[in-house]
Parts: sequence; structure tokens; C-alpha cells
Amino acid sequence: MELNLKGLGKKDMAAFKELPKNREKIIHSSSSSPIRTDYVANEIGALLHPTVQHVKVVDIIEENKNTKTFVLGPNIDAGTKKLAYFRPGQYISIEVPIESGLYRRPYTISCSPKNVFDNLYTITVQRKPRGIVSNYFLDSVEVDDTFTISGPMGNFYYEPLRDARNVIALVNGRGITSILSMAEAIKDGILDFKLTILYSARAERDLLFKQELEEISRKNNLIHIEYILSDEDKEEYYYGHLSKEIIEPFLEPETSFFVSGTNAFLESTNAVLKEFNLPNKYIRHDAFFGKVDLFGNDPYTVTVITSEKEYTLTCHHTETLLSAMEKEGIPTNSRCQVGECGFCRSKLKSGMVRTIDGVLRKADEENEFIHPCVAFPESDVVLELPF
Amino acid sequence: MEKKYDCIIIGAGNAGLVAGLELAKNNKKVLILEKENAPGGVATSFKRGRFEFDASLHALGSFGNKEHPGEVYELFKKLGIVDKIGFVTIPEAFHVYSMNDNANYKLPFGIIEFMEQMEQYVPGSYDALKKFFVLAEESKEALSYIEEKKGNADMAYLKKNYPDFLKVSTHTVDKVFDAIGMPKKAQEILETYWVFLGSPASKVSFVHFATLAFSYIAHGAQLPLKKSYEISVVLAEEIERLGGKVKYASCVKEILFKEKKIAGVLLDNGAIYESEHVIANLSPTSVYGSLIPNQMVPKDALKLTNSRVLGARGFSIFLGLNQSAKDLGLKDYSYYILENLDSNKEAQNRRSIKNSSSAVYVLNNVIPSCSPKGTTILEMSSFFMDDVFSKNVTEKNYFDMKSKIALNMINAFERTTGIVIKPYIEEIEIATPVTYARYTGHPDGVIYGYKGTGMDNLLPRLLSIESENFIPNLRLCGGFDVKLAGFSATYLSGDLSARLTLQDMIEEGEEEWN
Repeated sequence: MELNLKGLGKKDMAAFKELPKNREKIIHSSSSSPIRTDYVANEIGALLHPTVQHVKVVDIIEENKNTKTFVLGPNIDAGTKKLAYFRPGQYISIEVPIESGLYRRPYTISCSPKNVFDNLYTITVQRKPRGIVSNYFLDSVEVDDTFTISGPMGNFYYEPLRDARNVIALVNGRGITSILSMAEAIKDGILDFKLTILYSARAERDLLFKQELEEISRKNNLIHIEYILSDEDKEEYYYGHLSKEIIEPFLEPETSFFVSGTNAFLESTNAVLKEFNLPNKYIRHDAFFGKVDLFGNDPYTVTVITSEKEYTLTCHHTETLLSAMEKEGIPTNSRCQVGECGFCRSKLKSGMVRTIDGVLRKADEENEFIHPCVAFPESDVVLELPF
Repeated sequence: MEKKYDCIIIGAGNAGLVAGLELAKNNKKVLILEKENAPGGVATSFKRGRFEFDASLHALGSFGNKEHPGEVYELFKKLGIVDKIGFVTIPEAFHVYSMNDNANYKLPFGIIEFMEQMEQYVPGSYDALKKFFVLAEESKEALSYIEEKKGNADMAYLKKNYPDFLKVSTHTVDKVFDAIGMPKKAQEILETYWVFLGSPASKVSFVHFATLAFSYIAHGAQLPLKKSYEISVVLAEEIERLGGKVKYASCVKEILFKEKKIAGVLLDNGAIYESEHVIANLSPTSVYGSLIPNQMVPKDALKLTNSRVLGARGFSIFLGLNQSAKDLGLKDYSYYILENLDSNKEAQNRRSIKNSSSAVYVLNNVIPSCSPKGTTILEMSSFFMDDVFSKNVTEKNYFDMKSKIALNMINAFERTTGIVIKPYIEEIEIATPVTYARYTGHPDGVIYGYKGTGMDNLLPRLLSIESENFIPNLRLCGGFDVKLAGFSATYLSGDLSARLTLQDMIEEGEEEWN
């Protein structure tokens, strides 16, 4: 039974037949010039999130005996004209071939985003006793050395829709770099919030960027800095460890805490913050390596399958699968190295691993995918890389 | 790794994955090349703190359930994955709020229930709605027939079986609503569905609008328990189980030809894979504009692509809230917060950077366990028409601009519903046209493909499948293709492209035989 459709009839039925012809007419009247691909959103996307950036070391600053800051500029010869803009607190992942290994490490960008307009990033490397990459940087990297780095990444940044306008940063060690970048950005008018930095260290000589930070805080009343020294009782410094009492004077009804530092520091800081009984949203952590209870009967054989090659290597239960692969020089596609970004997502074909809770997406967890950067073998393992 | 395949698929989006599985099930050696490190394209998820957000899916239409299967259910059954994924049914069709006249309407699923509720809101709308659903159902059947015939429909058959479909087939939603005497207010409420299509009632084809709205209201809508990413992972796993290969972090740079015939693809790292068949799960803008050297692109393909208009540019806000939905007073799953119920006026609003309309989804009201106890996942999805975002954004103002737009939308939600959410934001992520452009590679951050309006609406596209197959053995699929955008459409598009490719393979075999 046909419906009564007011004003629609035979003529409209005939129009159906004309549809392909009418479509053709429009197509034929249009231009056959090459297709436009220069869209603004794509161009800005490529500028802000390049897959790779080629950089060159343009300067090296010795901060102290075991710490150096590397100033990076674009390596124009390799095809990078301009470094990508970033949000203070973000990191870049740098690829470092050392002997037969191929390593990647995330380093926080410690300068202001303003420096990007002069085509500069700074990263700060601190010597770790057995750190292959940090020792290489401190002992072997020279001006004019070239590297491949990722675009800026990471979620440790100030977000006005989420964070309080009063921020207290609790930092130690190299953790100061992300906060320094935020302070510089406040100074440059790029960020707008009140920042109190409570900077913990053993002794005065361990404080990085002390002069820079003091200069910024002197000139800008949004920024305030205090130091807490555990091994030195000196005037104008707190003596001992970070405590509720040290924090309290800087608290406002709504305060966000940004915590950045070594794992031991994060642990003790979280214990202090617990006393304030704050909702989760007011405590933000810079990327850190979560806790895993390690167990194993070493060493294990790890078979790594890529679409081009199969590798066999050994890995100890105290070592991540990613780290074992890096030593073998296997290209791994990792970025954050704390389980967060998911770039190294790989399939656990067989075997067992121990890993940090809560890093995997539910569907990945259910289908035996792991992030090798936070996975420790607990048996022999067969791992299939995604490419 | 093998270098030669029966078919190479560029892109592991919804359509690419379905096409890959369909071919693998037909014993074809298939290689899917994906530039990202995981399957799904926008059918993915991401973690922030203790929350896992779905990047794009808010309602899977045309699915239904075992008793009342929709097309996508049937497809997933055919592919052997329907039992591998847990699905939950969304409780209500939509709850729409209009900012300009301070009214709100909540509509249920089910044709009868929907008509009865609408009659309450707009007395006298029942009969017109009945006509609407009859027309929609007839149109749906007619479309299946046309697709089955690959666009070569028999006019006499159509006239005999689908006369009303033919009468409305060339008209817009507005025009047909008037013809069936749909009261203005009921038109506006029903038009809420336009936000899934990205073109307003005066522009979008009735057949497209009605068939989708019909499926949605008749079949209801579902969500996978573990986000749309679960579907993507299961599809990819199944392809590999059947001997196919999905290779990630592999960006195709060029489609290769040998003596003017499809010969394979070249990756940006220099690797070459050979195949006489390619399915491209990306936009014709990318395929004909970037992947094929211009001199190899047929003139008609250039003309068609140049004649098309980019559709809606996406803008989404993902919020992890540190209170339960109940404590916040969030009772519904979907809140459509529109500046104006009239889709034509609303489309105009979305040509402004001040647009504050969005579709707001409270995932916990469908899947209570989707986030930790005492928390809520709330996602806001919106879009801009034309290039208004691009016209305003710069590298320098980008982060400020996206926060500002997000704040506008969050404020509009709070103002309109009276529900306060800002103080409870524990995690926030904002995706803009720049995000979509970078992640999908689609031009200007488009999320709904080309505008499905004028002569580029669903029907003319469907009628031209074969005549627009410009390069033999190269099939396109995804949200820019004949079935237009959306989850169901792209899954079905993948299936269509695989069937067409299988046919291309058979025809080829016949030629060789002859």
C-alpha cells in the first residue's frame, strides 16, 4: 500500500533515475587539478606532533660533577627545520646507539616553550651508577653530535580545567627539570598559575638550577621557592625531610600538588601528602616507574619475533624485556619507558611476565598484549613485536 | 616476511580490519599495513590515570541482539567474532536539551515506545511518525536491494516493490517531513539524530537520515564492554589466527603500479610489498592526492574528489570525574546539549568557534564497571562545520584555544542541565581537528568523511559504485566511502570492499581462463 505523500509523486520517481547522471554532471563540471592536501589542521598537527625530529647538540653546560644540560637544535641537514612546540612538563624520547645496542630514553624538556621559537630545547642528564645511556651522555656526547628524537609527549602538564590555580611542586633530583620548564613558562607569560617549589636535596651543592630558579622567583611574584636539605643544616634552608609542616603555609583552599623526582622521593612524598587526605585529582605525578614485586630463577631465554627477523636473547628477572632488547640492538619503538604511552605494545606469545598494575588497556590485557618497557620475565618468553 | 600477498589493505581502521578478516576467511593471503602501533584507527581507547576512555564510540547502531539481529550483528556473526565480545544495551535513545528555549525531551528506544513518547511531547505527531518509520523501513529494504545489485537497480522492480522509497529518494529530510505532515516540533526533536551525520535536515538526504534513525530506534544501540578498542583487537587477532598479517608502525607512502596495473605498496621506510589488489581504508583525498602519483590518477577520480566537500571536523572532551554518576546527579547515558533544536540553525552555530553544543555521554550509566568505584567517565563530543577551527588555530594559540572551547562546552552543559562537573575533573583530555588530522591523516580533522549532501549523498554514491571504481583492483572503504561515516557504516563498508575485491579476483580468474 502506497502512502499519501503530499506533493510527491511520479515526477519524483523519475528523478531517482536521474541521480547517477546528475552526479556525473557535477563531477564533470569540477576541476581535474591535483588534489589539495595542504590543510591547516594537518599542518599544525605535523608541527606539534612530528613522528621524528632530527637534532644536533649545539651546547653543553656542566651543571655539576654528575649532571650536564644539553642544548639541542634542529639538524637541518637531516630534514628538521623547526622544533615542535611543547607543554611544560612534557618529554622527548631520544634514540641513542651505543656500541651494538640501540637505546631510547625519555628526557623532560627543561626550558621554556618560548625557546622553541629560537629553535632550542634543553634536556638535563644526571649520571646513574650503572646507566648505560646517562654515562654515555656525560662522558662521550659532544657539541655537533646528532640524534633522532620523538615529538614532545607526556601528560604531566598544567591544565587549567583540572588543576588548582595554586600549585605546590614537590621535587628532588632531576625531577626539577619539568618544574623549571613550568616556572620559565610562567615568567614568559605562557602559563598563568601560582607556583611554590619545595625542592628537596641532600646538600646545597646537589641543587640544580638554583641560580635560574632564584632569578625567576625574584622577578615574578607568582613563583616562590624553598629548599629542604637532609644532610646540611644551613641558614635559609629547611633542615630534614619534607613534612606536612613545611607544606602547610603554602596551602590554599584549593591546591594542586605536582610531584616529580626519584622513586624513593615519590614514596616518601606520597606518605606526607596522605596526611592532607586530598582527592586524587589534586596530586599529579611526573611519569614514574610503578612498583613490581620481582621474582624469578635466572636467566631466562627470550625469543623476539619481528616480521623480518627472529632474535634469541637472555633476560634476568630484574631486567625489563625492553632493556634486554635494547642491549641487543633490536629496534623497539618505545617512548615513555614507564608503561604509559603504549608505543612498545607487543604480543606475549608464550611465557609469563610480571608487570606494573594498571598500565594496560582492558582489551590488550585480555588478549595477552604487554608493554615490554615495564615487563619482567618470570619464565622463558616468546614476544612478538608489532612490526 | 613474505613480500607477496593476494590483497594488501592500507589502514587497520574499522573497515580495513573487517575487509581483512573477510578476505582471510576466504583463504586469501592478506596483509594490513597500519601506521599506528595498535589496531582500530579511531576505534581505540587510551588511558589517563585510573581511567580508560573510548576515543570515539558512543553507540553502535544496526547491531541489536541475537533475537533481533541488525546488519552489523549479522556481519560479526559471519566473521565469527560476535561471541568473542561482550555487548551491553544502551537504555534510552536520547535526551536532548535545547539551550535557546530551555526545553528537554527524553526519547526511548523501540518504534512504538518512541512514537508514544513523542505524541506526549507533540500531540498529533503519531500518524506522521508512523509514516516516517514505514518510509524508513521501505527505504532500508530498497537500499539493500540496490547494494546487492551494486548500483544497477532494475527500475521496474523498484517501482513495483518500493514506490514510496522512489518518491522520497531524491529529497531532503525537511522536504519529506513536510510531505508527511510532521509537526515542526516533532521534526526538530527527531532531527537530533543529525549530529551523527553532520549535515542538517535541509541538506541531508531523507533516505540516509531515515534508514539510520530507523535502525537506531528499532534495534536500539549497544556498546562493547571493553570499549570499541576491544572490537578492533578481536578483529586483528582473528585475522592473524587465520593466517593474515597485521603490521603496525608501517606507513604506506605510495601505491605502486606495473604497466598501469596495481602492483603493491611502498612504505616510508623503503620496504615494498607486492599485490595485485589493494584496499585503501583512507580518504580519496589521501589516496588520489598523496598515495598515487598525480599522472597515474584517472581524470575522473581527480574531478570527483575535487567536487566533494569535507564534512564535520571533530572536537571531543574526555573527562574522568572523581564522583559517582549518581552523586553528581547524572541519571542518563546521553545528553544532547544543543544551542538550537532546529538542525539548520544549529549547523549555523557550528560554523562559529564559539559553538558550545555537544553530545554528552555518561559511560557508567551503561557500563557501571567502566571506571573505578566512585568515579565517572563523561565524554563530550562535538564538531565544527567547514574550516572555522583551522581559520582560528595557530601553533602558538593551540593549547589555549582548545582549553577555551572545552570550557565553553562544559559550561553550556552545566548551565543547561544544572549538573555541576567542573570541580570533579580528575583527568581531562581534549581532541581537536588537529588531533584527528594527525591521528587519522584525514584532511583538516574531518571525522564524518565528505558531506553526504546534494549529489554526494548516500543514494547517488551507492548507484555509482561500479562507475566510480576508477582504478581496477583498487577498492576504497571507510567513512569517506559509499556508506558514509559512523561505526556501523564503516564495518559494513569494509565488508562491501572485501566482497567487491573477491569479485575482482574471480573476474580476473575468468579472464585468464578465457
